Order: sequence, then C-alpha cells, then structure tokens
Amino acid sequence: MDKAPVSCLPTTPKMSKAKKVLDDAREIQNPELDLCDKGIVTFEELPGLFNMKNITRLTLSHNKIRNVPGGLANLVNLEILNLFNNYLEELPMSISSMPKLRILNLGMNRLNSLPRGFGACPALEVLDLTYNNLHEGALPNNFFMLETLRALYLGDNDFEILSPEIGQLKNLQILVLRDNELTELPKELGELTRLRELHLQANRLTLLPPELGNLDFTSDKSEVKLHLNPWVAPISDQLQGGIVRIMEYIRSDTYKFLYKRQMSLNAPPPPKTVDKSKKLSRQRNAS
Amino acid sequence: MKSYRDPNLSPSPIEILSLDHSALYKRRTRDEKQFDHSFASDDYEDLSDDVPKQKPPPIKPHNVVKNMSLSNMYCSRCGDGFEPQEKIVNSSGELWHTQCFVCAQCFRPFPDGTFYEFENRKYCEYDFHMLFAPCCGKCGEFVIGRVIKAMNANWHPGCFRCEMCNKELAELGFVRYHGQALCYECKASAKASALNKHSCFKCHGIIDDKPLRFRGEVYHPYHFNCTACGVELNSDAREVKNRPGITANEQNELYCLRCHDKMGVPICGACRRPIEERVVTALGKHWHVEHFVCAKCEKPFLGHRHYEKKGLAYCETHYHQLFGNLCFVCNQVIAGDVFTAMNKAWCVHHFACSLCDQKMTQKTKFYEFDLKPVCKKCYEKLPAELKRRLRKALEFAPKSPSTT
Repeated sequence: MDKAPVSCLPTTPKMSKAKKVLDDAREIQNPELDLCDKGIVTFEELPGLFNMKNITRLTLSHNKIRNVPGGLANLVNLEILNLFNNYLEELPMSISSMPKLRILNLGMNRLNSLPRGFGACPALEVLDLTYNNLHEGALPNNFFMLETLRALYLGDNDFEILSPEIGQLKNLQILVLRDNELTELPKELGELTRLRELHLQANRLTLLPPELGNLDFTSDKSEVKLHLNPWVAPISDQLQGGIVRIMEYIRSDTYKFLYKRQMSLNAPPPPKTVDKSKKLSRQRNAS
Repeated sequence: MKSYRDPNLSPSPIEILSLDHSALYKRRTRDEKQFDHSFASDDYEDLSDDVPKQKPPPIKPHNVVKNMSLSNMYCSRCGDGFEPQEKIVNSSGELWHTQCFVCAQCFRPFPDGTFYEFENRKYCEYDFHMLFAPCCGKCGEFVIGRVIKAMNANWHPGCFRCEMCNKELAELGFVRYHGQALCYECKASAKASALNKHSCFKCHGIIDDKPLRFRGEVYHPYHFNCTACGVELNSDAREVKNRPGITANEQNELYCLRCHDKMGVPICGACRRPIEERVVTALGKHWHVEHFVCAKCEKPFLGHRHYEKKGLAYCETHYHQLFGNLCFVCNQVIAGDVFTAMNKAWCVHHFACSLCDQKMTQKTKFYEFDLKPVCKKCYEKLPAELKRRLRKALEFAPKSPSTT
C-alpha cells in the first residue's frame, strides 16, 4: 500500500471506465455489476458502490484489488461476489455478516488466512478459495460451521491436514483438494453423504480411509479424482479399474486390515515433490 | 222397483241401441258389402268370428192390398182369414193382419214400418240388433263387418288393441294376462318385470340368468355367436362399438370375452383394464389418461410434459427434485432449457464462465477447471505453470466433458 501512488497514475483513465459501469447500472437499476478486468486497484475507484444496496452480483475478477473494505457488507442483497484473480491478502471480518451471500469466489489471490468468524456466513453455498496460500492453520475456528456449503474449492493451496470437522459440512456435494500437500484424510469424509465430486489429485496421499467406501459415487454425475498421489500399491493397482473398483476394494476386509496396519506403522509422510515458490499467489503485494 | 242406471258408469246396450241412431241405419243400408269371412279364427285361442249368417236388407212395408179375393187369403202368422174391409199387409207375397205384422220378439209393430228378417222371422231394428248384431266392447258402437270376439266381448278390429303398447291385436294375436289383452311382447315384459327380471327381446322368454345387452336391448346370450370365433355367447360377451365416439349403436358387434381381449383394445399399464376412451402411450405402454401419473406425487400429467427416468415417469418438479437438475449457480429447479456439462447443470441465465461470470451459450468454447467452465479469455489469463498442470491432468481424465 505504501507504493500506491505509483499505481495511481495508470489507473486514473480506467477509473472513469469503472465509474461508467456503476453509473449505467444505477441508471437502469441493473442489479448485476460486471467490473471484470478494469484494472481496479482499490474500491475508492468505485464511488457510491456501497450505497447500491439493490445489487445481487458483483464481479471484480482480473483486477488488482489488494484490499476489500468492510463497507462491502452494506450490500445486503449481494448473492454473488467474484474476486477471482486479484491481489487480496486478507478479507474484512464483516464479510461473514452478509445475509444473502451465496457464491464467493476468492480464487487466485494471495490469501494467507481467512478472517476470524468467517464460518458464520449464513447463506454461503459455493466457496472458491482455489490458488491461494491457505493451510489448515489459516482457517478460522468456526470455518466448518458453514452448513449451507455445497461446494468447497481448496485446490492449489498448502493443506497438509484436512480437519475431521469436514464431516460437519453435511450439504457438501463438491470438495476439491487438488494440488495440496495432504498426507492423510480424516475418516469423517465418509460422513459427507451428499458428496458426488471429490478431487484429491496431486497430493501426498498413500491411503484412503475405508469409511470413504460408505459414499456412493456410482451415479453418472459423480467424479472422484485420485491420480498423482503416492498410493499404496493395492490402491494404485485398482486405479485402472475405475472408481467403482476402488470403492469396492476399500470396503473389503482385506483393505481395512491393510489400512489399520499401515496406520499403526506411523511411517513418515512422503516428501514434498512440488516446488510452489513460483506460484503467483506467493508474490508479495509490495513487489 | 225403480232402477237407475248411470250411463257413464255402466253403458247399457239398451241406450246405445236406441233407435234414434239414424246414422246406424244409414250405415246399414249403405253397407252392401259381403262380410269378410277370411278371418282365420283357428289361429287364435280366444277369438272367433261370429257374424249373422245373413244380412237381411231392411224391407219397407208393402202396400196394403184391398179388395182381393178374401176366400183364399190367410194371415201368414195366425192362419185366419181376413175380414172384408180389413187392412191386409202384403210383404213378399205373404199376407198379414196388421196386428200380426209385428216384431217376432217384442210383438209390437215395426217403428216406421222398418223390419229386419232373419230365418223367416221379422224383427224390429232394436230387437234385431239386440239379438244378432254385436256391440263393440270398447267404443260401444255396433260392429258392422268383421267382428273380433275375444275376452268375452265383441270388438271392431281397430278397437281391440294391446292394453300396454296399443298395437292392433287382430292380426298379431294376443294373450290374456291378468285380465288384460296384451300382445306377446308386452305380456313377456309384463311377466318379466313382475318377476323383477328381463325378458328377451328376441324370444320374449324370461331371462333367468344374466342378460346380454346388445344395441340397447336385453337378450338371452345364447341367441348370439361371437363375431370373431363363432362360439355361442354367454353374459361375459362384450359389445364393441365399431366406430368409437359414435353414439348410434346399429353397427355394434358382439364378441366373446376371449376374442374381445385379443382384439387389440389397449390395456392400461396401471389398472390392467381395457381403455375405451383416450389412450396415452408412453414408456412403451398404454394408459388411461387419468392413470398416467407422476411416479412420485401420483398426480396425472393430463397432457402436461413428463420426464422419463429408468422406466418411470415424473412431473417436472419431482424429476428435478429426484434427479438433481438444479442449476449450479441458483440451486433452483431448471424449468426451461438446461445446460449440462462436467456433471453439473445450469439454467440459461446462469451458464457463465466461473471466473468472470460472462454468460456463455451452447456455442461458446470453454475450458474445464476443477470441473467448472472457464471461458477462453479467462483461461489464457491463468498462470503458465497452472495451465501446464491442467494440460497434464487431462491425460489422467478418462472422461471428457460434454455439453448437451
């Protein structure tokens, strides 16, 4: 922020562009605001936005926003907030008080944590946190109280452990954990009875909890992605047979026995293999 | 003793026969035809033909002869001779004392001198009718010409009718049933209804078992044979309308139950009964309109759109509720067109790039990113190392996303 004046000059001509969108929307009472790729750096370029209480969708993807002011929560009718591909490092706490916010896309930002109390979001259904710098310690304590959540995108983050509290997200249908550092999964995953999409590819997983076999992935709308993990041989062997074969296998007593034995071995987790230092999300705002 | 007769209550033949019926006399004189004897009385149990054997023409009194040779003239009645100066009645060459030229029945002179002769006896008009001419049991008039004798009375042929259907019975014959003269049909149905049963429209017999209804009448089933296989019918036989929807039943035909069921009358997939009215064909079966219902709520579609899934039909609401065609964005049932891709569905309003929210159409090319659609513009903005990983992931994806 200390170097903000530097970016001030190039943004000035674009400011009017964003302002025009606002003015047009005000004029025709359009409740959906498209401010995609407008070079916006700060919400100051969007004067009067927080007074437009009628808006239901705000799309700000592909901008350079570093900071979301708490005043955003004034938009009490906002249902969809899209901040994909910005420079956010943190969010205001007030975001969890937005009564109608259903879809929140924070993908491709530089988030290192979520604000305290974030789990209190009353209506959140789809939360996209893809491509950030989040890990299990970065989530607020009440994160898994998001009972209305039906899709959680956590791909391209730094989770090594998935909290057993994941089992509280009873409505979860889609869980994406692609490209993290997960070494093991909680058995509580087996409690997500509505789950039909599970992305686990490119982690450091060796075993699947046998409880995952409780779930039904046989529907043609189901998808389980398991590749690019250092699976134990029996699992990687079954991988060719498709998800139905794997689910059958992990339900078997043979596998339950193998799982128990492997867990008791307390073997060290597989080492990290991917260098993430060049990830865009690692860049500092100051740079 | 004085007797009083009310003519309305009990019409007396005496009153009817009073001689001021000059019309009768005219009729009688006019009607010179021979009586019709062709009536075959043998055919009818209670009917006979009894008409006077002769039809004597009324004879006018003759001139009174005077001054003839009295010695050889005798009265035809008493046989005595005549006094000179005495009036003598001459009729057809026979002579009478005036006091002897009287009705053979009432011994009174003939009124107006008119008499009727039968078997050589002369009767006044009154007594002739009383003795020889029958009186109609219905209208009370004398019966001239053909007389129907039945039910202990005489009738004009036109007056002897069935007491139920009023058909003339002279040619049809009749049956006495509870003191009434009825035609055979009416007698049969009267008898049947008294027994609370039907009478067969063909043989008039009482139908003891179940009747067969055909073209609006009831019959003994055994009078008919199946139109298809010829088997003698029973009461299970079905009447089939040849032209559905036409109320006239002259073209209806009868089939035994076996042939009827084989005739291709559609059977409802729900109630297993034949469908006579509108047929709904769906799910490879036929249905009564009111039996083609949603498998979930069991309400009939009544021509509304239905959705099929695994051999069952659902209404729109329950199809989506059960099979999850909920929009990924608004999470509502998709009423109109549906975009499906990557195991998800979108309504037309919400099928958009998941990164920039720009709307997409069926023709828009998009990339898959965590099983979400990404427009080309956004995809190109993704960091190179991510794109590389996404390309690599495609090698592991056995399923390719498809749109409908």
